[in-house]
Amino acid sequence: MNNMLSLSLPLTVAFAAIASAIGLAMAISAAMSAIARQPEAAGKIQNSMVIGCAFIEALTIYAIVVVFILQGKM
Amino acid sequence: MIPSFLAFQAVGTGAEHGVPVELPDFFSAVGPGLFPPGLASFLDAWAVNIFALACLFALAAVLLRGAAGQKDVPRGIQNAVEALVEWFQGVLGEILGRHTDRFIPFLGTLFLFIVFMNLAGLIPLFRAPTSQFEITLSLAIVVFLYIQATAVRSFGLRGYLKHLMGSPEGLVGWLLAPMMLPIHLVSEIARPFSLALRLFGNVMGEDALIAAFTGLGVMALGFFDSPVGLPLGLPFIFLALLFGMIQAFVFPLLSAVYISQVLPSEGDHCHA
Repeated sequence: MNNMLSLSLPLTVAFAAIASAIGLAMAISAAMSAIARQPEAAGKIQNSMVIGCAFIEALTIYAIVVVFILQGKM
Repeated sequence: MIPSFLAFQAVGTGAEHGVPVELPDFFSAVGPGLFPPGLASFLDAWAVNIFALACLFALAAVLLRGAAGQKDVPRGIQNAVEALVEWFQGVLGEILGRHTDRFIPFLGTLFLFIVFMNLAGLIPLFRAPTSQFEITLSLAIVVFLYIQATAVRSFGLRGYLKHLMGSPEGLVGWLLAPMMLPIHLVSEIARPFSLALRLFGNVMGEDALIAAFTGLGVMALGFFDSPVGLPLGLPFIFLALLFGMIQAFVFPLLSAVYISQVLPSEGDHCHA
């Protein structure tokens, strides 16, 4: 049990980070090309990008919180 | 840089794994030497609330300075505060539209309060109150209640219930209503938790990172009995500055999005 957790907890964060990095990359690259195409809408695009990034990033945070909760059982 | 005697203590009091979970604050580092034991443990338990209050007073002091003796040509603090308010009005204006001025006081105060609380963790002997789940959850519950009150005020109680059922129209809409209601209820209740967890996770993660690397820096020179450690935590302090600002910005921004969903505006619907 102990060994299983000490292997799986870092992996949990790693996989969550990989997935949300891919999501963030897609969102930010789309926002960047949108800003490049229409610089006058930069403020609006930036706001929606930040909101979207917050939602994507939250999933990693959930994983970290779960890890911290389970760390007590190690 | 965080003085190394603090980091030494962080290593000492750190978890059984040897890496500190968080840097010591004023009440856990020097409190036991200053206060009688009962008071010291009481203050240590309430440290986060005391720091949050300190942030609130600091914020109030800055804003009162900015608002006192207003001049037509602003200078100093008044100038800074006005620039901040105007920037925030511009950002929120794109989400809330014509309702912006109604919500600026609440959301702007929330933003500044969270900025102060996030950055408080970078001051030696302070701890970021937002690195405790209780603090962020209470902030999120305030936002939740505010959203519900705004919704009831703008739709009326019956109208809000209808909104929660997905504004059913026709036979199909009413048939779907029993399914829509629980979905909307769950999403309403999940929102404050996701707000609170996001802020808490980010700030606590940053603080734990800084503490871990400061502890490593001290341990790296530990065999010398050197009085100072390597400043390994330094780069992460800049990271924490950046993320503290961004997370403080995201919290009221998401609140504004949630508020905009319960406002009776036909135009800018932001389904996030």
